[in-house]
Amino acid sequence: MLQGMFKKTLKAKSNEKVKDSIQKSQIPNGLFKKCPSCDQIVYAEDIISNYYSCPNCDNYFRIGAKTRINMVADKGSFKEWDNNLETKDPLSFPGYQKKLANFKSATHIDEAIITGECLIREQAVAIGVMESEFLMGSMGSIVGEKITRLIEKATELKLPVVIFCCSGGARMQEGIFSLMQMAKTSQALKRHSEEGNLYISILTDPTTGGVTASFAMLGDVILAEPGALIGFAGPRVIEQTIKQKLPKDFQTSEFLLEHGFIDRIVKRNQMRKTISFLIRSSK
Amino acid sequence: MFDKILIANRGEIAVRIIRTCREMGIRTVAVCSDVDKNSLHAQLADESVCIGPYRAKDSYLNMERILSAAIQTHSQAIHPGFGFLSENSKFVKLCGKCGIKFIGPDQSCIEKMGDKLEARNIMIAAGVPVIPGTNNPIKNAKQAFELAKEIGFPVIVKAVHGGGGKGMRIVMDASEFDTMFETAKKESKNAFDSEEMYIEKYLTNTRHIEFQILGDSFGNVIHLGERDCSIQKRNQKMIEETPSVAINEELRQKMGDTAVKAAKAVNYNSAGTIEFLLDENYNYYFMEMNTRIQVEHPVTEMVTGTDLIKEMINISLGKELSLKQEDVVFSGHAIECRINAEDPDNCFMPCPGTITDMHFPGGNGIRIDSALFRGYEIPACYDSMIAKLIVHGRTREDAINKMRSALGEMVIQGVKTNIDFHYAVMSEKEFADGDFEKINESLKERCC
Repeated sequence: MLQGMFKKTLKAKSNEKVKDSIQKSQIPNGLFKKCPSCDQIVYAEDIISNYYSCPNCDNYFRIGAKTRINMVADKGSFKEWDNNLETKDPLSFPGYQKKLANFKSATHIDEAIITGECLIREQAVAIGVMESEFLMGSMGSIVGEKITRLIEKATELKLPVVIFCCSGGARMQEGIFSLMQMAKTSQALKRHSEEGNLYISILTDPTTGGVTASFAMLGDVILAEPGALIGFAGPRVIEQTIKQKLPKDFQTSEFLLEHGFIDRIVKRNQMRKTISFLIRSSK
Repeated sequence: MFDKILIANRGEIAVRIIRTCREMGIRTVAVCSDVDKNSLHAQLADESVCIGPYRAKDSYLNMERILSAAIQTHSQAIHPGFGFLSENSKFVKLCGKCGIKFIGPDQSCIEKMGDKLEARNIMIAAGVPVIPGTNNPIKNAKQAFELAKEIGFPVIVKAVHGGGGKGMRIVMDASEFDTMFETAKKESKNAFDSEEMYIEKYLTNTRHIEFQILGDSFGNVIHLGERDCSIQKRNQKMIEETPSVAINEELRQKMGDTAVKAAKAVNYNSAGTIEFLLDENYNYYFMEMNTRIQVEHPVTEMVTGTDLIKEMINISLGKELSLKQEDVVFSGHAIECRINAEDPDNCFMPCPGTITDMHFPGGNGIRIDSALFRGYEIPACYDSMIAKLIVHGRTREDAINKMRSALGEMVIQGVKTNIDFHYAVMSEKEFADGDFEKINESLKERCC
């Protein structure tokens, strides 16, 4: 109605200059992030302070192993174990070594899991946290070896074991050596259990393949994060095999809880409290 | 000088800020939601950017969109107006990160004054009188009850991170304390994600007197006198005036000095307001500080001849205050009536709609801050305030007469307004006598 009726502002003639810093306005890279779930642009620091989840829709962002440890362990209590094991290329798989080198330099992580001991609300635990950034957290012989050593040492020290699972499954580049880790880790857990020790498995997005088929599902208590993808084979493979349409929420933590595969869904802000409660209750 | 300023607000305050910018030769960018595309602020600004749908959280409260609009239009500064992002310290921080000047106080001032308990403790340390109450956050009802007993009923339970009347309960006697405390705590948890509460003595028969403050980055702070905002409905101000009939020159000076001291305690560097409660015995207590320009700022501008928005812009540019305390001269009396699209006969329910016809009064000493025009459709999703009528007279009596005359001439058709209600208040003896308690009582009866 009043469109175009007003005269534009007459610019002031001024010799004063705005400070240089003011003139260079731009949004710095990484200040905002787009949530893949709700498509909203969110302030990155808000995601971090909200336990790496979207403040708008609560969608969980994947987090690195070190961040995860800082989130659950008592401050400064984490001591890493077995960080000197070197990944080999037993099958001389084409491009594997180059891939490993690239991942190591990009993520500054040596393998797809960090293991060690820490305190959670003043209670000692042996903890393993898988790293999705590193080859999608796939389990090769070093991952299997580190988990086995973690469990064996925990058995020796009579410590509960807590493992945050996050993996695409067994590492194809190491073939049968990867698959062997399923049996190896399961055996170690059996001995740990026979000694009367507690094992808490926490399934995060995604927990699939050989990891689901071994230590991830062997917890005395199995917890999961909300909305995590948990399964063995992917939904497309299953649909093509059984020739049936799968339910919409198939392979989510909520679906698994409803069908009795896991014990509880725990939000990140409650995780530390829940683990500590479970350990205390088991004594 | 800034070349271009983005105004992160809407309605009359956006128009008011644009006007000063035009006067200063600063180009302006308006942001608007889709329902505001044809509104006055969007038309009057040199450029306009639609930043999203009508919901404030998707437009006027969406920091990322506002910052993107500022960067895209090469704006060097953002004026937040009042409400929306004006007291959001995170927004101030983000502006800084993007190299855009926030026209307002530093982030730290907003943070300190936004935490009501911290503000209280800063004031105690600075020697500013505060209402008797607790100095630490309380979550436990039993502990709270003991403290309330110590303070003495009636008390008021408030959320540490609260505002806008949420998470706040008046508790008249001990028997209802537990329920009221838990309700307020729950409300605070829902609205502000915090269960931290504090308790203050509830003072009855008080007046709401606030002081306008200006501070710069060189540590200079002055006050521009008080505003009496005692006439309120549902904790919302309706009529404001300056000077207040309740205080004399001696008390004015004392309260003004205290207000300056309070602002200095947080190194305040913009326009702001220190709110006091004044009791029947002329004791005054710090209530809170508003770290922004306020709705009722025009009455101060009328009696002091200043342009507060201009001052804010100059302070942001790093300039020293153009006025010293002794340069501030108060002349005459100013009153403001907030004209709302609401129905006074139906609990003051908002009445959005389209303006079919209108006439605004004019003449000496009459100012109207509004974003209305004929054919304007008042959206239902925003505040119902559509205009502010401000008058300036030599004496209070002059001002009241002028206000009554102006209200009598003011016509807004198409929606229900509170113009006639204001007209009636201006004609009442209680208003002339300054007996605001009685007016508030009748307002309370009208509110359902």
